[in-house]
Amino acid sequence: MEGRFTEEAAGRHHAPPKPSTITSGEDSVWADVSTLLRAACNEIQEGELIHGENFNLFAAMSALEIMDPKMDSGIVCKYYSLDEAIEDGAAPVPISFDKTIDVQCTIDIMDHLLSCEATWHKGHSLAQTVFSCIYLLKLERTSSHDLLHSYCRIVRATCKAVVSVVSDARTHEEEDIFTMAYGLPLNIEDEKCLAVINTVEETIARQLRACKASPCGRKVIDDFEPLQNDVALEEGYCRAILCRLRFRKHFYHVIMSMKRPQGRGLLLARKHILSCLSELQSILKSEEFLRSNVSGSHSVEDRGTTASGCHPIGFDASLNTRLSAPTPPRSIKIVSWREAIEFFTKLLQDLDIICSLPLDVSLEGTLHFVVQFQKTRPDLVARAHLQNLLVQDGKLYGIHPMFALISKAAGLSEAVKNHSIQQMEFIVQLGVLVVNLLRILCTNAAWQRRKLGKILQDWRVIQMQIEMALRQETGDVSHLPDDLSFRENILRHILLWVEEETYWIAYRFLILGFELELYSPGEYCMVYWYIYIILIKLAEKMHHRMSSNNSLAKSRGKKKKGSALDASKEFQIPPAVSFIQSQISLAEGLTLMLAALKNERLLSNRPSPFNTGYERFLQHFELLQKAGISEDISYRSFEEATKTVSFSTLAMYNYFKDAQRIARDIKHHFSCDPDRLSELRKIEQVAEHNSVALNVVCRLGSLDSSLKVSFEFSHHPFFASAVVKRSS
Amino acid sequence: MEQERVGPVSDAVTSDGVNLTTSGSGAVAQVKKLLFRRMLIGIKDGRFFLGVFNCMDKQGNIILQDAVEYRSTRRASPSSMEQRCLGVILIPSSCRTSCHVDCSIDEQLALLSLHQH
Repeated sequence: MEGRFTEEAAGRHHAPPKPSTITSGEDSVWADVSTLLRAACNEIQEGELIHGENFNLFAAMSALEIMDPKMDSGIVCKYYSLDEAIEDGAAPVPISFDKTIDVQCTIDIMDHLLSCEATWHKGHSLAQTVFSCIYLLKLERTSSHDLLHSYCRIVRATCKAVVSVVSDARTHEEEDIFTMAYGLPLNIEDEKCLAVINTVEETIARQLRACKASPCGRKVIDDFEPLQNDVALEEGYCRAILCRLRFRKHFYHVIMSMKRPQGRGLLLARKHILSCLSELQSILKSEEFLRSNVSGSHSVEDRGTTASGCHPIGFDASLNTRLSAPTPPRSIKIVSWREAIEFFTKLLQDLDIICSLPLDVSLEGTLHFVVQFQKTRPDLVARAHLQNLLVQDGKLYGIHPMFALISKAAGLSEAVKNHSIQQMEFIVQLGVLVVNLLRILCTNAAWQRRKLGKILQDWRVIQMQIEMALRQETGDVSHLPDDLSFRENILRHILLWVEEETYWIAYRFLILGFELELYSPGEYCMVYWYIYIILIKLAEKMHHRMSSNNSLAKSRGKKKKGSALDASKEFQIPPAVSFIQSQISLAEGLTLMLAALKNERLLSNRPSPFNTGYERFLQHFELLQKAGISEDISYRSFEEATKTVSFSTLAMYNYFKDAQRIARDIKHHFSCDPDRLSELRKIEQVAEHNSVALNVVCRLGSLDSSLKVSFEFSHHPFFASAVVKRSS
Repeated sequence: MEQERVGPVSDAVTSDGVNLTTSGSGAVAQVKKLLFRRMLIGIKDGRFFLGVFNCMDKQGNIILQDAVEYRSTRRASPSSMEQRCLGVILIPSSCRTSCHVDCSIDEQLALLSLHQH
């Protein structure tokens, strides 16, 4: 086929093209220069070029190479155009005049579309995935085929809705391909798609009832047409189609409900998510039936894109690869049908987590929720939904104004909510920063880390502005003394909270490096040292804020009771701070252990030939250093803290034991918080493990030169566990 | 690549007149004259590229500037043509099936006489 086509094309096009289509200049003609070029080629020396004066080799290097499958998206494959493909019978309607085959093929198309959709969600262009379906590209052709038509219509409507969700959210780089729909028939309002699919669903549900009512299949109800011809297969096909249609319907509902403003549709969305998940199970179950009825002429693929394993009719991704510009054409592997179902199951579970978010939580709770949610590695669509839910009209869930949330988080009373201070420019700015932070936390890890590093500077600027305002307030005598102290109080609280938040962002920036595998084992020491410093600051600020909130609360309720219990509470460290302390001890322990191993040359790690420790320090922490979140952090202070550490220092104090003890002691405070509880358990495990390793290293390290220590993340995602081995 | 020897070629060009049929280092000089002309290249999958002739190498690979791709919408002729702009493109000689240059009728006759040499 391919060969014949090439020959044909080559033969035909040796003649100059018709002047009517490609015109030459005025008073001129197209002169054939093939022979001249051939002669010139023979004459030119090897490595020589024929070119004009303004020739630029660099520009020439960026030329698109025609017929290179990685650059040329216009390569003509089987068909020149969609119309030609349709005329050639690539996507017939009906698919077959044999109704049983027609139903089989329709199910294959449905399944392949699901696989295409999952592939799209995973980061490929719409044009090369879902819209490789010729039926979808010309939807009006299918109007006589109710089943196919209704399914394709709702797929199109779903894609449109999903595109709008993702375009509303902030996405990045590769993910931007997701929303590109240029040249695709997607920009069509289709409010009737649900009504259409409901009608078809009803018909098939009736057909299913009818065939169940007449078990022998002989008695067919009058004026009632079965789905297909084979009575024995009627029930199976009805069921297979019903679950597919219902899944689409509920999935569309999920997307539309979640798009409703202020999270009003979340409850409804959860119901539809449940239905979707159960329909997905039914779809999975239909595989056996569909596979058993494949007629012999088809080749059955084991990991195909359909339940039956048959190749679907009516798909050709090459027809609109040109629409996938500006991205270069990519080779795409459509995920298998089973993978697609797994994908949608995961997506729905992620969406369910989002829908379960209580809308009245605090800012702190929301941040915690997003971070926890990201741990499940949700895909783009789920993250976009979360982002759109969190921030609407510059408010949390479109309900809570940012200043109210900030003042609540800063431990201020409800009365502050309407204070004129919120009109101050830097307070408005702070609100914008919080919105940005929420959005950034919903993005993928790589983009998130980069952006977190960048916004740190903005947080620092706000911090300085508040400090300045505070100085002005204290010097300003125009205010009434009462109001003055009130304003000052507000600013002090907000300042504390901003400082704490800044360290939290820096901490998140650092640990995301582990998720992205940016740190090499040789750099762990400086990373843990940095984490250790940041955590100390974070704990300090948090403690400060909490104790000042406590004193505020106490001064408010001081008339009530002045018991001895309160006094003892004051000296107690809040559990949230102890929680961080356990991490501090762990980070400190790891820093010292790594430093000692390096100094005693037990870590099989040669210095990098490419860059010095200082350069790597800058590479990793430049954004943090630029933001100047702390004056006392520099490469020099890191070196001073670690260069003299040896096994004898390690033996003196075991920080891992501290971490373990704190984690164990405060666990009961978090019995209602499963996320933190599991984090504490992990900390305890790493600490215990490393404590043992440390003992072994200290005892044998200097005696046994065959001892090798390496680090792995077996207990905790970013606190490494030491593995001590004797190399033979 | 940057240090390619353009000596003989440029010599040929300076000694060369306007006449396309002048021999000498012949073909190369003539092809040099075609630079910056509109060139129409057909390739084996049936598409055409129209652009400004910018460069050619020993292997016959051609670079066109401001190129436009033309493709018919159907295999069976006659059919309408779709077009889109591509910018700078490199057409490998292996996929080139035809090559035409926009020129006056006189020039065309001159080229035809060259073919007969």
